[in-house]
Amino acid sequence: MTETTVQHYVCISCPIGCPLRLVHEGDQILEIEGQECNRGAKYARQEFTDPRRTFSTTVPITGALYGRLPVKLSAPLPRPAIPAAMEAIRQLSAEAPVRLGQVLLRDVAGVAGVDVVSCRTMDRVTM
Amino acid sequence: MFGRMNRRYDVVVVGGGPAGLAAALGALDSGVSRVLVVEREPEAGGILRQCIHAGFGLHHFREELTGPEYAERFVLQAMDRDVDVVPHAYVTGLAVDSSGHRLVRVLSERGGLSTVECRAVVLAMGCRERTRGAVRIPGTRPAGIFTAGLAQKLVNLDGYLPGRRAVILGSGDIGLIMARRLMLEGVSVAGVYELMPYSNGLTRNVVQCLDDFGIPLHLSTTVTRIHGRDRVEAVTVAPVDETGRPDPEKSWDVPCDTLLLSIGLIPENELSESLGLALDVVTGGPKVDSTLATSLPGVFACGNVLHVHDLVDFVTEEALRAGRFAGEHARQLRRPRDTIQLVPGANVRYCLPHTLSTDRSHTIYMRAKTRLAPCVLRVGNLLEKRLRFVVPAEMIHLTIQPELLERFYEDRLQIDLVPVDGKGAP
Amino acid sequence: MRPATDTGRDGVDMYDVAILGGGVVGCAIARELSRYHLRCVLLERFAEVGFGTTKTNSGIIHAGQQTMPGTLKGLLEVRGNAMFDRLQRELGFGFRRCGELVVASNDEELASLAKMKADGEAKGVPGLEMWDAARLRREEPNLSHHLTGALFAPSAGVINPYEFAFALAECALRNGVEVRLEHEVAAIAPRPGGGFVITSTGPGVPAGAPPVEARFVVNAAGVHADQVAALVGADDFSIRPRRGEEYMLDRRLEGIVTRLIFPVPTPASKGILIIPTYDGTIMVGPTAHDQDDRFDVPTTVEGSEEVFAAVRRLCPSLDPRATIAEFAGLRAVSSSGDFIIGPSRVPGFFNVAGIQSPGLTASPAIAVHVTELLGRAGLPLVARDDFEPSVAPPARFAQRTHEERQALVAAQPLFGRLVCRCELVTEAEVHEAVDHGARTLDGVKFRTRAGMGRCQGGFCTSRVMRILADRLGVPFHEVTKRGAGSWMVLPMEPAGEGPEARKEGAPCSDA
Repeated sequence: MTETTVQHYVCISCPIGCPLRLVHEGDQILEIEGQECNRGAKYARQEFTDPRRTFSTTVPITGALYGRLPVKLSAPLPRPAIPAAMEAIRQLSAEAPVRLGQVLLRDVAGVAGVDVVSCRTMDRVTM
Repeated sequence: MFGRMNRRYDVVVVGGGPAGLAAALGALDSGVSRVLVVEREPEAGGILRQCIHAGFGLHHFREELTGPEYAERFVLQAMDRDVDVVPHAYVTGLAVDSSGHRLVRVLSERGGLSTVECRAVVLAMGCRERTRGAVRIPGTRPAGIFTAGLAQKLVNLDGYLPGRRAVILGSGDIGLIMARRLMLEGVSVAGVYELMPYSNGLTRNVVQCLDDFGIPLHLSTTVTRIHGRDRVEAVTVAPVDETGRPDPEKSWDVPCDTLLLSIGLIPENELSESLGLALDVVTGGPKVDSTLATSLPGVFACGNVLHVHDLVDFVTEEALRAGRFAGEHARQLRRPRDTIQLVPGANVRYCLPHTLSTDRSHTIYMRAKTRLAPCVLRVGNLLEKRLRFVVPAEMIHLTIQPELLERFYEDRLQIDLVPVDGKGAP
Repeated sequence: MRPATDTGRDGVDMYDVAILGGGVVGCAIARELSRYHLRCVLLERFAEVGFGTTKTNSGIIHAGQQTMPGTLKGLLEVRGNAMFDRLQRELGFGFRRCGELVVASNDEELASLAKMKADGEAKGVPGLEMWDAARLRREEPNLSHHLTGALFAPSAGVINPYEFAFALAECALRNGVEVRLEHEVAAIAPRPGGGFVITSTGPGVPAGAPPVEARFVVNAAGVHADQVAALVGADDFSIRPRRGEEYMLDRRLEGIVTRLIFPVPTPASKGILIIPTYDGTIMVGPTAHDQDDRFDVPTTVEGSEEVFAAVRRLCPSLDPRATIAEFAGLRAVSSSGDFIIGPSRVPGFFNVAGIQSPGLTASPAIAVHVTELLGRAGLPLVARDDFEPSVAPPARFAQRTHEERQALVAAQPLFGRLVCRCELVTEAEVHEAVDHGARTLDGVKFRTRAGMGRCQGGFCTSRVMRILADRLGVPFHEVTKRGAGSWMVLPMEPAGEGPEARKEGAPCSDA
C-alpha cells in the first residue's frame, strides 16, 4: 500500500501564479486544488506526470559577424534530459553561413524528434 | 537594401530594432515607398538578437519564438519590401528646412556626416538599463559589476562569461533569464535579490529560471554594499522595511565575483531631449497624440523609446501604427486634431497616448501602480471592464471604439483601476 | 651638451632621478625634469599613471584665497594657478576658468568672506569681488535664496585631473623620461658610492630585471609616501588618508550652476561643493573622513546623505536621483598639515608628500620648486634645446561643430563609427587613446569619456574591449578594467571541455 503524498507547484499559465497542491498516491493523482481556472489543473498534471522544459543556448561559430550562434530545441525535452542535452550542445560548433532553422543536431539526448536548430541566419563575413 | 542610404526619403526611422523595423513596414503600408532605417549596430534586429530565450511572438504571430527568430522575420520583410537599412550609423541631430522638410544628420563610417531629407521621422531608439548610480549602491568600484543586458550581450553575442559566481540584484525578467543562462553555462548564481515584496518578472520565469535550478529568490532584500578592490569579492545584502530602507542589523555578506543589475529600463531619449520634445516625466518618453506624433511636427515615436514595454508584440503593434501615421504625414494626409486629453486616475501610473480623437478606434496602453485582483478598469463614464488582476509589471492594453467616443463631448477622459467593490484606491 | 652619467653596478646605466609615484605630482615633476639633460625614470604601481588619488580628484584649480596665508601650500597654490593657461595650450587637457563663489548665509560668514578677500589679495589672488545677495541671485539664480552674499574669485577653474596627468606623463615620455607601470616599490637601499638601488615588484616588472639605480629619489607616492620614505628611514612624518566621496550627476543638470560653489570653509576642509565639470556634468562632494586603510575607497550611505544634505542647502534643486556615478578617493594628509617638500634627512632622497588640496592646483609649481631644490643639491640642470612642451590634444568629437566633425570624418572614416552613444565618442578616438598610452578600459574611459555617461558603459564596454584586445594583441578576455586583478570576463570553454576545465588557470582564484 502506498501513502498519500502532496506536491506543490506554482502555476505559470498566467501572472496570477496560483499556488497549486496536487495530492497523489504513487502515480495516481487524487486531487488538484488551488487553481483559479482549469489551466492550473492541466499544468499540475503535466508537471507531475511528465515535466518538460525547453532552453536556448549558443554554439561557437566561425566566419560570422559574431562568435556565437543562438540555438534552441525544436520541442520541449523531459526535464531530466536537460543536463545531457546541454552537454551534447557544448560539443557543437558551426561555420557560417548558417540558415534560420537549420538543424545542427538531431534527436538530442536520445529523445526522438527533438532537434537542436539555429535561431537565426548568419552570413559568412569576410573580415 | 542593406547598407544603402540616399539623400531623400519619405520616412526616416531612427533605430533598427523591433520598433524601428515595424515602423518602417507600417510606413510602407500607408503608401509611401522610400523608407530609411538608421541603425547604430552592425546589423538590424536590436536587443532581440541577444534575447535568445523563447517567449516572443505569442500575440503577433500566435507562436512562440526566440528573440533572434522574431527579429529575423522583420528584417526579412524589410529587405523584401526594399526598406533601406544603414548599419553602423547614428543620428546626431534633426533640423527643419524652410520648405518644411526634416533634415536628419546621420553619422556613419561609409557616408561620413551626411544630411538626409525626409517628410517624417519615427523615433525608435529603444531603452537603456538603469545602472548602479541610479540606485546608488555604496561600496568600492571593482570590475565585475554588469547590467544584466550587458552580461547578456557578452554571453550570447560575444561568447564570454561575466564571472564564476554571480549575485543578481532585481528580479525583472532579464535578471531571471540571465540567472538560468548563467547556470546553464556553469556559472553559479548565489541568489536573486529583490527590493520589492514581489518579483517583477513573470511567474513562469521565476519557476523555470530560478526554482528549476534551486536559485534562491530573496524578496524585500537589497544589495547594500559592494566589496573588492580590483574585482568584486562579495556583496552585503540586507532586508528592507516597507519604505524600502535596509536594516543593517540583519545584513549578511554573499561571496561572489560578479554582480548583475537588473533594476529597470529607461527610454533612450538623448535625441528627443536635444530636439526639445515635450517629455512625460512618468514614462520618460515623449508626449504623443493619438497618431503617436510628438510635440515636434512630423516626428513620431514608438516602442521602448516612448515607454518601456514588457512584450515585444505590443512594441510591434504600436510601431506599425506609428509608421502608418508617419507615412500618412509624409503623404501630407492630415487626421482630425485630438480633442480629448487622456488622464491617468486611480492606481494608473500612466496611460498612452496622451490625447485621443473621436473619429476612430484607439489602442490605449497603461500600467497599474499596484497589484489589484480582481479589479475594474473604468474609462470615464464610457466603459467599465472587469479584469481578473492587474500588476505593475504587466502592461494593460485596451481598445476604445469610436461609437463610444462619438458621444463624448468633454475634454478630459480619466482612466481608473479600482477594486471590485467600486471604491477608488487611495 | 649632456653631462656624463655614472654607470651603475653590472654596467647598468644609473639614472639621475627616480620619481616614485605617477600621480599628477610625480608626472608634473617628470615633465619638469625632462626639460634638462637628465636621465629620469618614473615608477608607478598601477597599470596607468593617474589611477590613484589623481583619478578621483575633484578637479578644481583653486584661486588661492581660501588657503591659510604663510603656508607653503598657499604660496605654491597661487603660483600654480597662474601656470595653467599655458599648460592647457601645451598639453590640451580639459580646463576652463569658470570662477568660484564662496557663499555665505549669515553675517558672521559674510565677515569671514571679507577677511578671506583681504588675505587673498595679500597673496596676490587676482580679481576678488564681494557680491551681495542681489548680484548672486542674478548670476546664479538656482542657488538658495537664503544665501546673503558671496566672494567671487574669477581665476578658479575646473580641470579633468586625469587628462592633465596623462598629458604630463606623455610629454615627459616624449622628452626621454622612462615610465615603468605596474612597478610597486618594494625596497630602497643606499648604493655604495652614492645614490640608491630601488627594487620593484608587480606585474609590470620583467622576470630577472635588474633594480633601478638612481642618484636622486623623489618620493611622490601620495597616500603611501610615508611608507616609501620609511624604506630608507626618511619618514620623519606620517600620512593619514582622508577619504572623500563624490557624486556625479546627469548631464541634464548642466547649467544649474555655472561657477564652482563653495560653502565658507572650516579648518578641516573646504567643505562640500558643487562643481560644474569641464565636460558639462555636475559633480557634488567631497566628504572628508580620516581612515587607516590606504586602498579601500568605498562610498557609503552616510556619505551620500551628507553630500546631498550639504549641497541642497546651497542649491535646493540638486536631486540625488540624478546620480549617474559615485566614487571616492583618498587625500594624502600629512602629520604637519602642510605640504612636505624637499630633501629628507637621507641625502639625495627628496620627499614630496602630504600633497592634499590644493595639491592639483599647486602641482606645476611644486614641480618647478622640486627641480630647483634638486639643482641646489647638486643635480646638474642643463636645459635641452630640443624640449618639446606639447602633446597632441584629444579630438573631442562631441564638442566639435558640425563642420569640424565633417572634416574629421572625411580625414579618418573611423570618426564615423560611434562607440559610446551617451558621450558621442567615436572609434577613432578610442584608437587615439591607445596611441596616447591607454592600456585598460578605465584608461580609455578617462581619455575619451567612453563609458562615463548615463549608461555607464552598458553600450560601449564590449566595443572598447574589442578595440583594446586588437590593439594590445591580447585575447578579448585579457582586457582589464584597470590592470592586474581587475579582469572583466572569462572565456567560454572550447568544445569538449566542461565547466570544471575552465576553473584551472582562470585569471583569478577563489580566495
